This record gives sequence, C-alpha cells and structure tokens, in this order.
Amino acid sequence: MILDNDNLMPIYVQIAEWLENEILSGNIVSDEKIYSQYQLAEMFSINPATAAKGLNILASENILYKKRGLGMFVFLDAREVIKEKRKTQTLKTLTLNLVIEAKRLDLGEKEILDMVSKVIQESREG
Amino acid sequence: MKVIQCDNVTKSYKKFNAVNKLSFSIEENTITGLIGRNGAGKTTLLKLLSGFLKTTDGKIKILNEDPFNNLFVSSNTIFIDENMNFSKQLTLDEILSAAKGFYPNFDEIMSRKLLEHFSLTQSKKHNELSKGMTSTFNMILGIASHCALTIMDEPTTGMDAAVRKDMYKIMLKDYIENPRTILISSHHLEELEDILEYILLLKDGTKYLHMPIVDLKEYAISFRGKVEAVNSLIKGRKVLYEESFGKDSIYLVIETNNFQEDMSEARAINIDAKSVSTNDLCIYLTNPKQGGINYVFSKE
Repeated sequence: MILDNDNLMPIYVQIAEWLENEILSGNIVSDEKIYSQYQLAEMFSINPATAAKGLNILASENILYKKRGLGMFVFLDAREVIKEKRKTQTLKTLTLNLVIEAKRLDLGEKEILDMVSKVIQESREG
Repeated sequence: MKVIQCDNVTKSYKKFNAVNKLSFSIEENTITGLIGRNGAGKTTLLKLLSGFLKTTDGKIKILNEDPFNNLFVSSNTIFIDENMNFSKQLTLDEILSAAKGFYPNFDEIMSRKLLEHFSLTQSKKHNELSKGMTSTFNMILGIASHCALTIMDEPTTGMDAAVRKDMYKIMLKDYIENPRTILISSHHLEELEDILEYILLLKDGTKYLHMPIVDLKEYAISFRGKVEAVNSLIKGRKVLYEESFGKDSIYLVIETNNFQEDMSEARAINIDAKSVSTNDLCIYLTNPKQGGINYVFSKE
C-alpha cells in the first residue's frame, strides 16, 4: 500500500489505521506478533521513529501489548476495541459531516434517513 | 549521545552574518532535514559542521571535537554537494575504490550495485557526467560511505523525479540496516519528509524551529470560511498566513496548541478546518512578507 500524501492525517495515524484494518480483516490475529517499526518503515518508506509512533498509539489504546525484547502483539479483544473506537469516533465524525452537508442543502431529517436506508438497500442488493 | 552540538555559532562574511548565534544539537542515529529559503544559511552551516569553514564566533562540537582542521572528524564525516571535485583522471570505478581508503566503513559492493541500478557507466569520468548523473553519483558515494555523520547539501539537484524517489528509499533502507546520523538539506520537503525524524528550520541564519517532524503536522491549523467567523477563532494567536478569496471569505493559518480542540470548535460553527502540509507550513513560517504574492500586483 502506498501512503496517501494528500491525506492531511499525520503519517503515524495512517499507519495506526492501516494496522487496525489488518487486525479487523483478520490478517493478523490475537496474540500474533505485529510488524516491527523497522518492517513498517521499509514497507511504507517512512522513518522508523514515525512507524514507532503509530505502534505506540495502538499500545496506549490497549490494542497491542509489548513483550520485552520480542516486540508487540495483538491483544485478545483488539478487534472489539477497534470496532468500538471506530463507532464512537470515526463513524460519529462521518455522520456529523453528513449532517452538516445536508444542512447546507436544506435537507431535513427524513430526507437524510431515507438516503441512508437507500444506500443500505443498494449495498445489500449489489 | 549528541553527534552535533552548536553553541551560539556565528559565521560572518565581511559584515553579513550568514549564520547568526545559532544553537542546537542533534542526537545520534537520527535523520534531520535542514530546511530554509535561499540565503537562510543552510550551506554555510553544513560547511561549518563539516569543518570546511571556521566559525567567526561560538563553538561547534562534532562527535565531541571541533571539526575545523580535524582528521578524526573528517574521517567520520562526509559532505556531499554538487561541487564535489574529483580528479579528472579517475573513472567512477576508480573513485569508488579510492573512497574505501578514506572511509573505513565504505560499502564498495553496494556502491557498485547502485551505479548499475542508476545506469552509470563505471568507466566514465566524473566530469563527463550530466548534472543529474553527477548528483546521483555523489549521493551514492555519500550513502555507501556509511559515515557516522553523513551531511548532504541539496543532494538531489538535477535528478529526475524517479531517481529522487529511488534515492530516498535507498537511503532509508540503508539507514535502517546501518543506523547513523544524517543531516540533509533540500527544497523538496514534500519528497523528503516521510523519511525524516527531525526538522531544523533556518531563517536569516538563526534557528526558527527544531522539532520532530510528526509534531510539525499539528503545529498549525488552517481555517477557511467567512471572514467574521474565521476571525473569531484566532483568539490572539499568531497568524502565519492569510489570503482572501471569493466573496468575503478568507483562508487563514494560525499556530495551535491543541489541534483537535481547535478543529472541533471550528467545525461547530461551520468553518472548514484542516491541518497544513509540512511544505506549505515551512513556506508560511519563512515568508518575509505575509499574505502571499498579491501585494506585488496591487495597484494601490
């Protein structure tokens, strides 16, 4: 994967999100060792210190744990923690932006909800 | 351990202070980007650190010793720029063989592989190379030398975009395998920033900023929206850049201590808030005039 340089998110946040996605998709499972800062640095062509910052975010959020001298591993309930975090943060922000844009367009609550249900339906059928 | 220590360093040319009371230090095994506008003092600083120039005032310590006229520092430091002089008699191949004698850690095998990778003919002479190829060769020499302190002044001058990208990747990969202290100046911050750990920003010969590059991303915030609403968000803080556009709208960049808080506050009143790219931020911070180029064209 190539990092998105136009993305205004700091690189280390993008690294943390990418690792979360790897955990969510099951590519890395509970109690498995996750990439080291040096592996990440090579994969994404970034400074190892930046990669370490991405890993440390996940450690501070109890998604990863450190084993002395062995590296970082995935917590047992990491997937649940990530899902909960994404629900309360990422999804909330997306919803907020949706509501702001709808307000700009003078759309009411019902019209927003209708649009959302329509998209859900379409994705089911698709 | 600190590899570079500068204490109140000044370098004057006649009455002009190219470097002016500059103090900073750089830790071992880090990559630092030296950024600044033309004439900010970057090259003078790098030449002082490499021991090519003598300070007018102040103290420099490289690996704990004064770099000027110092063989220990010379053998542990390499300075790469576009004016490197090599004997006109020597082929690229012979220069690489000779380099091993000067730099004990020189990785000859890698240097030859890199020549091949960038399609440089070993039997060519250094002064027969094009501008971009000269830079490519010099940078290969700089990377392969594996010096404790590697200093590069605008090393990518003349290289095409593909070569620049490859070169930074190679430098990073080699740094991961052979950690050392690297100081590199460039005008292409957007190409370099991902591999940096620190940034040192010079303005008028003095230090403007020296911080981890990841922190720079949250150093400032930009607002875009109606003048009145945007102005209400400034709250006495330093405006780094402003530009009006559209009908009474404004784009404003200010310093911030709490990026997230400022972001949500702006969004609550319907103002578009974003982080500022490192490259743009450095331009704003080092701009002699605020407000961009519009004043040049103003008829008033």
